Amino acid sequence: MIVKHPAIGTVKGPGETPNDYLFIAPDPERRVKHGEFVYYVTAVDGDERQILGRVTGRRPVKLFPDSFLADPGVPPTSVAALLGYESDATELFEITVTVLGYHSPQLGDFINPRVPPVNGAPVYIADDELLGAVLSKRRRGERGSAHIGSLLSRPEGAVPIALDVRGFTGTHLAVIASTGSGKSYLAGVLLEEMLAPHNRAAVLVVDPHGEYSTLQEMMNLAEFSAGNYKPRVRIFRPDQLRVRIDTLTIADLRYLLPNLSEKMHYQLGRAFSFAQRSAKNGHYTLEQLLYAVRQTAEGKKNDEAGFDEDDPTTGALIWRLHAALGNSRIFHDFENLELDELFKPGQCTIIQLNEIDRREQQVIVATLLRRVYQARMDTAKGKLERGDPSHLPYPVFCLLEEAHNYAPANADAVSSDVLKTILSEGRKFGVGIGLITQRPGKLDGDVLSQCMTQCIMRITNPIDQNRIAESVESVGRDLLRELPSLSKGQVVVSGASVNTPVLLKVRKRITQHGGQDLDAPAEWMRWFEEDRPAQAERAAALYAEKKVNYEDDGDVLWA
Amino acid sequence: MMQQPIGKIVKSNSHIDYVCQVFGVGETPQPPAPEDYSFGAFVAAELEANGGTGATLVGLIYNTLLMNPEFGALGPRLSPRSEVEIFSPDYLAETATLLGVISIGWFDAAGRAQQGVPALAATVNCPVRLLTQEEIITFHAGMDGQPQLRYAPQLLAQKHALVAPLLLSVIDRLSDLFPHSRSRLAVMRNNVAWKSIVQPAG
Repeated sequence: MIVKHPAIGTVKGPGETPNDYLFIAPDPERRVKHGEFVYYVTAVDGDERQILGRVTGRRPVKLFPDSFLADPGVPPTSVAALLGYESDATELFEITVTVLGYHSPQLGDFINPRVPPVNGAPVYIADDELLGAVLSKRRRGERGSAHIGSLLSRPEGAVPIALDVRGFTGTHLAVIASTGSGKSYLAGVLLEEMLAPHNRAAVLVVDPHGEYSTLQEMMNLAEFSAGNYKPRVRIFRPDQLRVRIDTLTIADLRYLLPNLSEKMHYQLGRAFSFAQRSAKNGHYTLEQLLYAVRQTAEGKKNDEAGFDEDDPTTGALIWRLHAALGNSRIFHDFENLELDELFKPGQCTIIQLNEIDRREQQVIVATLLRRVYQARMDTAKGKLERGDPSHLPYPVFCLLEEAHNYAPANADAVSSDVLKTILSEGRKFGVGIGLITQRPGKLDGDVLSQCMTQCIMRITNPIDQNRIAESVESVGRDLLRELPSLSKGQVVVSGASVNTPVLLKVRKRITQHGGQDLDAPAEWMRWFEEDRPAQAERAAALYAEKKVNYEDDGDVLWA
Repeated sequence: MMQQPIGKIVKSNSHIDYVCQVFGVGETPQPPAPEDYSFGAFVAAELEANGGTGATLVGLIYNTLLMNPEFGALGPRLSPRSEVEIFSPDYLAETATLLGVISIGWFDAAGRAQQGVPALAATVNCPVRLLTQEEIITFHAGMDGQPQLRYAPQLLAQKHALVAPLLLSVIDRLSDLFPHSRSRLAVMRNNVAWKSIVQPAG
């Protein structure tokens, strides 16, 4: 017998769409919540199956007449009792259920029976054990699982939900949430799971706000150690970031140099080719690039200096290159962030981009992603030998915070193209991308639609909601309607890493959360309580009492 | 023990709607008391009494009417009532209590209960008696021992103001007789009560 609990309702009939059915439930305990999982039992090919479905609508069909509600102090039940209706059965609901089907362990997916349940069939609430077994593709703690929380409609921890790490590292991930709804917290949980002994991922986090540094705690926590394994967390602070100038493409250069004229564009292109051609092993410095600019100047005089100082285009280009690259602490002639340092299994590398100009951030991300993708392609094709700094014989995952900065919807960014390339083709070479954004409306639609696993938290902006509806196919309308009402830490997960879209509560982080909001009133109060008395004390210690001289009429003469 | 007759069929309004006249003084050794023909009481009309098939119609008292030819005669009486009893007892016999009885099934000659519209009709002067508690249980018990209320749709179709209270009283009575089936009877009761009590009051 596969039914363990009393029924909570009775099937009324088919719903509006072929995948919906309706059932009637008195539900006095309010157990049939939106998003709750219920099932009915039917025979499919001779086997008794539990056909699971998700509650997507709830409509009362038996209500007290409005006139019974005339006095807020008098409950309508007492009015009904006055007339002789003394039963507790005063409510009845018509519940709409979207059928998921029965779970096939062989296929690892739900199979829809494609026949609505019979009228009058009992409907049951799916028990925790059943949901734990069928909603997640992986069991908690299993290799390739990322336990990020538990089902929201059940008590916390009753139905743990584990994402399939293989799913989102292969076909990419999007974390979409408005500010303060817990997206960085969720990302922290995901990173904890990826670095746990059962996953040991090679992850890079682009952290424009410097809020992931607390992940370093993982290195010292017993929860993350197993045998001789211990995760490593490397943080590259803004002053440690280096992009070697010869890794910049012509597009990067054009992006970095502001207000280029047509002529400058042309000359820069020629100079870039010249520099690449004349460079040994493909390496060149800023000085060599500047030399190339001079060499490729129009009407160049073959004087001793080798360039025409009077050519305004050349002068302007050189000036711009100096300003953008020469004065930058990021772009360097020789130093670079080597890929084998950034990516190692069991290592989380955090690239902190705070205090860095937006355009430079975009170029850093673009060059990094391009190099990673190229390295993975070259490694897969056997072009790189073991020992080469770009040799990456394992898949990698890059998590980009504020992803709308790197692939904006209505603006050009140098990182957009490489991001799109990786999102569409990175799967083949084991480059996974995780995008975190608070403004999906500002994120390129193609980019969002390429992320096959979505974690969507509270979104109230209608433009952002529309973008999600357009770009995210796996989330049904019913779940999208939930988005504005989600609380902090509640997330809708859908797509390739779960068997069906689920609404869950994110688990507690093991490490500290680094992205907490500042408590401004508390800080102001602290200043009055601690800093101000200390300042006053210092002032009193440093200066003797001020003398004030007054004029005859009482005005201050000097103090 | 079979119940004493409380009256006889005197008229019908339809195949299932009969009028029963309650026996008055002089018609039976022990005239029935008002509680014997209360609203919602189960009654039986013995068809065999008139040389019939031995079947028994089962009905429910759904209405009571009082016949009084004196009503409206507001003028002075030439004879006081005590004298009328002596000199014109026939005149007093013209007052009567009539019961509306709706037929809801029958017991066939073998004593098997059938609910619904009976095939046979009662005849005039057919005696009417109350059903015993055992007969009520037998009439309502299905093959599986669960109560049956197959005549409820037939009652609800009558569009009579007293049908809903009648059905409620039947269900309440059956809840006492079939305590193990209270939950399913409660669903029916709540449904009838909601539609007849709460909704009309709104």
